[in-house]
Amino acid sequence: MSTHTTSTREDEGVTKFGTRELTLLALVALVAVVAARFVDASVPVILAAVVAALVPRKHGWDVRLPLAVITGLLVLFVLRAWPASSEDIDSAAAATTESPKLLSWLIGLPLAGAAFVLFLPRQSPQLVRNFTMLVMFATLALTIPLLNVTMGRGFHFNQDIPWLASLGIRYHVAIDGITLWLVMLTVFLQPVAAWVSFGSIQTRVKDWCFALLLLEGAMLGAFLSLDLFLFYVFWELMLIPMYVMIGVWGGANRIKSAIKFFLYTMFGSVLMLAAILYLAYTYARVSPTHLPSFDYFELSRLELPQHVQIWLFAAFALSFFIKVPMWPVHTWLPDAHTEAPTGGSIILAAVMLKMGTYGYLRFCMGLFPEAAGSQAATLAGVAVLGGIVYGALCAWKQDDVKRLIAYSSVAHLGYVMLGLFAATPASIEGAVLQMVNHGISTGALFLLFGVIYDRRHTRMADDFGGLAKPMPVYATLFVIATLASVGLPATNGFIGEFMVITGTFVSNHLGHVNGIQAVGAAIGVILGALYMLSVVQKMFFGPITKKENEHLEDINGREMVAVAPLLIMVFVIGLFPNIFLSRMKGAVARTEEALSSRLEVNVPPRYYEGPIRLLPRATESSPLPADLDQGASK
Amino acid sequence: MMDSLFPPENFSLLALIVAFPLLGAFVNGVWGQQLGKRAVRFMALTAVGLSFVASVITFLALAKLVEHDKGEHVKLAWTAWEWMHTTGGHGNTEIPIQLKLSVDALSGVMMLVITGVGFLIHLYATSYMEDDPAFWKFFAYLNLFVFAMLVLVLADNLPVLFIGWEGVGLCSYLLIGFWYQELPNAAAGKKAFIANRIGDFGLICGMFLLVHYTGALDWTGIANGSGSLVSTVDLQRVHVWPIGGGEFRDIGFLPLHLLQPHAGNITISAATAIALMLFLGCTGKSAQIPLYVWLPDAMAGPTPVSALIHAATMVTAGVYLVCRLSFVFVLSPFTMTVIAITGAATALLAATIALVQNDIKKVLAYSTVSQLGFMFIGVGVGAFTAGFFHVFTHAFFKACLFLGAGSVIHAMHARIHDGVQSQDVRNMGGLRKYMPLTYWTFFASTLAIAGCPFTSGFFSKDEILYRAFVDHTVNPFRIAAYSDGGHWAAPNWVAPAVFIVGLLAAVMTAFYMFRVMFLTFHGDFRGWTIGRASMISHSEVSGHGHGEHHEDLTKPGHAPHESPWQMTVPLIVLGTCAIFAGFLNAPIIKIGGKPWEPMGKWLDPVFEDAVKAVGFRQPGEWAASMEWPLAACGISAFVIGTGVAYWMYIAQAGRPAKSLAEAMPGLHKLLMDKWRIDELYEVTVLAMVDALADTFAVFDQSVVDGLLPRLSSLIVVGLGTVLRVFQNGVVHVYAAFMVVGLAATGWFFVAPHADATVTVSDNGDYVVQASPGMGYSYQWDTNGDGTPDEKTFGNTQQVKVHLDPGKSQTVRLEVQNAFGLHGAKEIPITRPSAPLEVGQL
Repeated sequence: MSTHTTSTREDEGVTKFGTRELTLLALVALVAVVAARFVDASVPVILAAVVAALVPRKHGWDVRLPLAVITGLLVLFVLRAWPASSEDIDSAAAATTESPKLLSWLIGLPLAGAAFVLFLPRQSPQLVRNFTMLVMFATLALTIPLLNVTMGRGFHFNQDIPWLASLGIRYHVAIDGITLWLVMLTVFLQPVAAWVSFGSIQTRVKDWCFALLLLEGAMLGAFLSLDLFLFYVFWELMLIPMYVMIGVWGGANRIKSAIKFFLYTMFGSVLMLAAILYLAYTYARVSPTHLPSFDYFELSRLELPQHVQIWLFAAFALSFFIKVPMWPVHTWLPDAHTEAPTGGSIILAAVMLKMGTYGYLRFCMGLFPEAAGSQAATLAGVAVLGGIVYGALCAWKQDDVKRLIAYSSVAHLGYVMLGLFAATPASIEGAVLQMVNHGISTGALFLLFGVIYDRRHTRMADDFGGLAKPMPVYATLFVIATLASVGLPATNGFIGEFMVITGTFVSNHLGHVNGIQAVGAAIGVILGALYMLSVVQKMFFGPITKKENEHLEDINGREMVAVAPLLIMVFVIGLFPNIFLSRMKGAVARTEEALSSRLEVNVPPRYYEGPIRLLPRATESSPLPADLDQGASK
Repeated sequence: MMDSLFPPENFSLLALIVAFPLLGAFVNGVWGQQLGKRAVRFMALTAVGLSFVASVITFLALAKLVEHDKGEHVKLAWTAWEWMHTTGGHGNTEIPIQLKLSVDALSGVMMLVITGVGFLIHLYATSYMEDDPAFWKFFAYLNLFVFAMLVLVLADNLPVLFIGWEGVGLCSYLLIGFWYQELPNAAAGKKAFIANRIGDFGLICGMFLLVHYTGALDWTGIANGSGSLVSTVDLQRVHVWPIGGGEFRDIGFLPLHLLQPHAGNITISAATAIALMLFLGCTGKSAQIPLYVWLPDAMAGPTPVSALIHAATMVTAGVYLVCRLSFVFVLSPFTMTVIAITGAATALLAATIALVQNDIKKVLAYSTVSQLGFMFIGVGVGAFTAGFFHVFTHAFFKACLFLGAGSVIHAMHARIHDGVQSQDVRNMGGLRKYMPLTYWTFFASTLAIAGCPFTSGFFSKDEILYRAFVDHTVNPFRIAAYSDGGHWAAPNWVAPAVFIVGLLAAVMTAFYMFRVMFLTFHGDFRGWTIGRASMISHSEVSGHGHGEHHEDLTKPGHAPHESPWQMTVPLIVLGTCAIFAGFLNAPIIKIGGKPWEPMGKWLDPVFEDAVKAVGFRQPGEWAASMEWPLAACGISAFVIGTGVAYWMYIAQAGRPAKSLAEAMPGLHKLLMDKWRIDELYEVTVLAMVDALADTFAVFDQSVVDGLLPRLSSLIVVGLGTVLRVFQNGVVHVYAAFMVVGLAATGWFFVAPHADATVTVSDNGDYVVQASPGMGYSYQWDTNGDGTPDEKTFGNTQQVKVHLDPGKSQTVRLEVQNAFGLHGAKEIPITRPSAPLEVGQL
């Protein structure tokens, strides 16, 4: 009985949501604009689009067209971003100057959109939804210039203006090869999450859209800020919409989970704030101008003795580890994921967790290289044992599928953290790629699980069984997402894991235990197959044991359109990882060299001893504000 | 024309070879349901057929090239694009990893077998699977498998091989669980995938070790860097204990130093570590001890799958890998010995189990495991050509056997409609009469696998046993890097033991294969009533399964019938090959005094690297004289095995077998239960992992998630409780606190605080500056001798001290404030012995 009502409501939801034409129109216009610019690349694009349009068997043009557009765009992306053609891009990029305002537009557009949503009528949710999608697509379109720039080692699209000058707080945003992909991941996944959530979230649509846009702006801001104060503002801003999303649209236990999520993350953040303030005022003590600074490049010049550095490192790292999350502060994640609505889960897993890993890479390793280096071996042990092995085994024992995926996130992010601790070029590149990979494949898993959750309203694996028969297409897509998560070669998961594992073995930051840590990480490959295949078997294979499952509706058009870009990206990254690696290579090399040069100067015991002082400015890659330079010389 | 169209370095035909099956898989997988059976069949057969044609053209081009560059190890290669990169080698250089395919003599043969046998099995399956509703899906998976297998053998580096390696594992998983609605099938698929993943773990470990030690992952690069894999220098070896070469220090009360080995660290050469890890991968894919348990269960898949994946191609991937990286494996005599012993043990173990099984596919599955053991004996003793030749011949006769069994099952299933019953040899018998073509091809392949003289199996198996015996040290190579002695060598008993075990397994092979053949095809048909009666209840309860033709199940049905041509043609082709393929490498046959071995000649350049690396010890005159006696051993193994089977099942009509089973019920039960190895794993390894996971899950819920937040909330609650006491709203209590606070502040100002900061300049002058305070006067003791510099307190706020390098001194400061109270502090100053660097401090 309940299945019947569910499916009818679902149908109504689909028919009510009849104005996708507006979004489609915007998409087509986008394609036309882009295609017109690169006519030479249009043949494979059109071919792929036609094939994609033919793939869905039981759907009309309302599904075929978006699929064609998505596929065409992604093929275009591969063709244009292919490193072999970077020379053409170079010549093109030389002509176009990097607009310093671009990143502000990128952050500002969703924030402005969020503000604008407040003035839209609550009574017409369709308008609000369409507006939200439009803003998200516009943000996505804004990132195109980012891909046309040769990233190299430095920062680009630098914008740096004084904000609270007397406190040394500046509005400083810039992008490099590492943040490029995290920004791309955010703007790519936001529309997907929004699109899929519009099917299941029918109450308080306006508030939901407001939260989505606010979240997007805050996350972009956090990735792009190079001023620690600004970073902290965005870091905290990000927390609120997610808290609301879990607390308002979540499951039965939502309030408890939301509070747990908030307290855990807040606890870390406060310590980080204290550390940021200490750093800024320490800078004031030793700098010739006697003014505090929150600028990342300025603060990374500080050379701190062990007893200071280790505490500051701990404050930053704890905050990031909670966000990642690393053992033993990971338990907020399964709770938050199980209670969050599908759209929230996707964003939380795919993007927000990356804040932790990104923060560690940029701030912990950049500001406290000696502490990061000396603690790496121990922390890598935690990442392997507590993340990869423990997370995987816990995942295996979960009956709740969403909890299982949450624990699998703990395991996957264990790889990312291991790569960062190992700190070789390959392992860091693998870790950054794995951040994107995890976003794609775990995002896809949450999205796909949301499909069955909308139909059955249960998260227990035992309530399913034999679903492959009533829902064959759904089962196929779920298995593909599973294989990506397991890390089958030629899917995205393999590249990241492989680079992290090989990079770990050749690392010299982990002492003599790098071998056993690489082996431990490789064991994760077995465990990954163990828990993912077990749940797939429980859900999809065997006889149908429950009557409710006999006549479930297969994945519908809207859901298919939502999951398509993710599944295509699984193979794009799996087969063409060089698109991503070639752009992040320079930035990773810069990070790695900065770390090793600091570690090599002070051996042993690696720490600098003596009063706090400022290092000379690095000649390359720090786009220093002109006025700050003048201030220093005054 | 070939040269200009496809130059050897950019031989794009290779792309087509792999692209056709992939395209077939895509089209059938996505649109198969609408296309209908005819189109699906056409698509699948065309894809593999075109791939076969392209393979033949490639092979011919390769042969021409080989003829051109005589004796060189030539290959045709095609690079798609740069896939990714990693860092490694000495000095952490960047290692690009290309998506690159290449074909040489070894992979050329494999490629032909895969596409050729693959095509025949596809053809067979079009008829075998005709009634299956998921016909299209089956062929999509099968085409995908051919694609993955081709990638595996054509890969030019390990990561690309790994795509194929895991790809075939995936297809195997999907095809074993093809009838996924029966839970055991899906479970068997999962078991296969996870057992293979354990092997893949080994492969990944092998890869990162190779990246580190050789700085390359492509075949040429590994070969070039393999020199650094053997070293007697401690630093360049893999430290096994203590792990990574550290040192155990006590932690608190834990006496960890006891773990430190007394006689130096235990190390193994990088070659041994890599080869062992890669071999772990091979045991997974090629179903060797300890990971063989998945293969018998894998028979849950449709029979053509068993023939193609679990007999002819995928399971031989492990042997292929050892051959491919032979130049790494030979560097480790220890691993070679392990491989040979594992192969022999697996061959015997699987053969013993196969003796008593009644499921025709189970027997064939264990015989596959056993034959794979023979192949590993071959490569383990360094006879790569012999081992690989067995892969080649085995592909024909085992595929033929499986397809023949499939044909029988097909016929039986048409009568019984029961998966289990129609595979039971006890329900068969006398099928020779009804299915003559199936019988004769099955007979031919049985002769081959049993080692009947002059069939293919005879030549390949005999060569392996011969080489195992004459190479007394198991490893026939002498390693240049170890020529100073002190390297590990296999004990002398290993070679004869491997030979004898192999011979024993060969006797058993002949016995169980003829047992199955006699039970299936000879005697009288036992299926008239058996099985059909069991179907009565089955069909009444479920009412399912080919329900259109409601037969009267109490009466004997129509006789079993021969299969259609799509099934018999592959049988005839494979059966013919099973008889004659052996002549491609028949060293016993001498033509003009030279052994006749075109296959050996063809493969020699591939294994030359391995031979070159270690220096081959030519077998002496003695070995040549052993050729015929050992061949006689092989022949007698065949005769004994076959003779016993004939006596038991034809002459005595199965009575001795029954009485034997009754005489030793325990042993018989144990063999029927497959030595209960599955159960052993269940209670050891699996139970351990399971318990660990349970512990972790409980620990996570109760301790990590319970204790941590609860403890912190307890602290907060406790603090709140304490602080709440003070916030009681009674004014005079607040006033009392104010008084206490004021008093404390007052005391702070009244008490003097002696404090000072030290600054240093380059020449060793230290300035000690006292902190100022209200009404303070200072008294210094600069030299730290206990007597103050001046008798009275003065206004000297700072003193200067000069120190020589390496000296230290304590300055004592006493402070007196306006109330006449005193406070004191001692300030130690040390000048480092090294000269102070300006700007460094």
